[in-house]
Amino acid sequence: MKTCWILFRKEMLELTRNYKLIWMPIVFILFGLTEPLTAFYLPDIIQSVGDLPEGTVISIPTPSSEEVLLSTISQFNTFGVLIIVLGFMGMIAGERKSGNAVMILVKPVSYAAYIYSKWMAAFVLLWVSYGLGMLSGWYYIHVLFNGIDFTAFVQGFLVYGLWLTFILTMVVFFSSLVKTSGLAAFFTIGITILLTFVSGFMTRTLKWSPSQLTNYVNEVILHNTWPDYLTGTIILTTILCLAILLIAPPLYKKKDLI
Amino acid sequence: MNVLEVSSLEKKYREKLAVKNLSFQLKQGRCTALLGPNGAGKTTTLNMLAGLITPTNGSISTSGSSKDIRQLIGYLPQYPSFFEWMSGKEFLTFSGEIAGLTRKTSQNRCEELLELVGLLEGKNRRIGQYSGGMKQRLGIAQALIHQPKLLILDEPVSALDPFGRREVLELLKKLKKETTILFSTHILNDAEQVCEDVLFLHGGVLIEEGPLLEVKERHQTPRLNLYFNEDSEKYKPYLLQKDWVHHLVAEGNRLSFEVSELERDRARIFSMISEKHWGVTRLETSEQSLEELFMEVIKV
Repeated sequence: MKTCWILFRKEMLELTRNYKLIWMPIVFILFGLTEPLTAFYLPDIIQSVGDLPEGTVISIPTPSSEEVLLSTISQFNTFGVLIIVLGFMGMIAGERKSGNAVMILVKPVSYAAYIYSKWMAAFVLLWVSYGLGMLSGWYYIHVLFNGIDFTAFVQGFLVYGLWLTFILTMVVFFSSLVKTSGLAAFFTIGITILLTFVSGFMTRTLKWSPSQLTNYVNEVILHNTWPDYLTGTIILTTILCLAILLIAPPLYKKKDLI
Repeated sequence: MNVLEVSSLEKKYREKLAVKNLSFQLKQGRCTALLGPNGAGKTTTLNMLAGLITPTNGSISTSGSSKDIRQLIGYLPQYPSFFEWMSGKEFLTFSGEIAGLTRKTSQNRCEELLELVGLLEGKNRRIGQYSGGMKQRLGIAQALIHQPKLLILDEPVSALDPFGRREVLELLKKLKKETTILFSTHILNDAEQVCEDVLFLHGGVLIEEGPLLEVKERHQTPRLNLYFNEDSEKYKPYLLQKDWVHHLVAEGNRLSFEVSELERDRARIFSMISEKHWGVTRLETSEQSLEELFMEVIKV
């Protein structure tokens, strides 16, 4: 437990020193605020740079605050996921490859502490970045549009955050399993796409699939209701995350470090 | 007392056996060199001892009751890779803490070791800016941080220049007094300078082991060199007749051969020289270097 904390501190120091702790939140903030800004200023932008024939009448219905928030989330769902995967894919595989892992694991450190400290650091960075991104989106929606219900926002924020956490857990898991970080990214993105695709088809059988979180979050924010299967999905996703974390250390240990 | 006992250790990669049926003991307070050419299985063996890879077969047992062998061992890999963004001092303190020391003890120990390995002036610099020799010394310091019973060093001097090499060897001589050391090398001269025991590994098999002096004695055959004031070829036939002369080689004006008993055969040579009025300018007995000894052992 104590070792895990020391390793966690080292991870956080590393994230500070390689500036990940700075650029990742900035990227999320940028995504968070561009969506409300473009939605609000789109008519003006088209007018000034659109090069349209004289007399064209542009009428774009102003989206509702909820719609803007959802399109912010859908930004996170493409670019955000990509950044998470690319940002964390080398966390364990990279250290194994460079030989840094040897320097740690040759000391009496449990493999679980090693992997969990990395997951925890990634978890903190993810929620800080995503939280700041959502917050900046929420702020501009309040300034430029008519605002959003706070509980719906928080609910949506947490539900979608769980989906990102699930992806993060997968990256860390695959990073511990394979030898090259590219492969870890490939597996994570592959499974994410597969999961989204299949659950899109079989909405009934896979109503508890983690990827449904992205669909349920629409209902939470747009209609301010709690979908029937959302609680089950949240529980299942959490269990899946825990299970993945539980099997990661023994699997990592089974493979020779060098 | 044995610090470590290894019995019938084996490591298989796919179909290739990297280490076969390896058994040996390490006695407390001794410095042992693991010798062998490249690919002999030295690194594989050390990695198994350090708990980094799991043996396919066999067992490694320690004297202590500790469950985790890593607690007893300080290990320096062949190509240590540090966190380049840390300073030397930070890295050492971190290593101590994950080895189970408290922050305070780790810091104190860190200062001691920085002084011991001579890194005091560079301690606050990032490791990325260290030279190869400094990194190696830092590597030794991190291996020592939790005062391990056994220090395992994989090729600690091979990548260093002559100065760095001497520094590290001097350091090992100092450390020898405090802890048991096992280090691998393919530079036999280095082993000769610091260690008492040797393990010869070849093709994954232990082919010779024991105290260095005994091993030398076991394989050493005394050799005599005779230097003449003319071409030595002329004298070859005389010596070839004698059945106590072996492996006779004539090179320019030097004749070199092995004898079975140094005292007796040297006297015989002297009498030959005086009887036949040979123009001998120099006579010397030569000892085998560890290098020659190693070649000898491998041939067997």
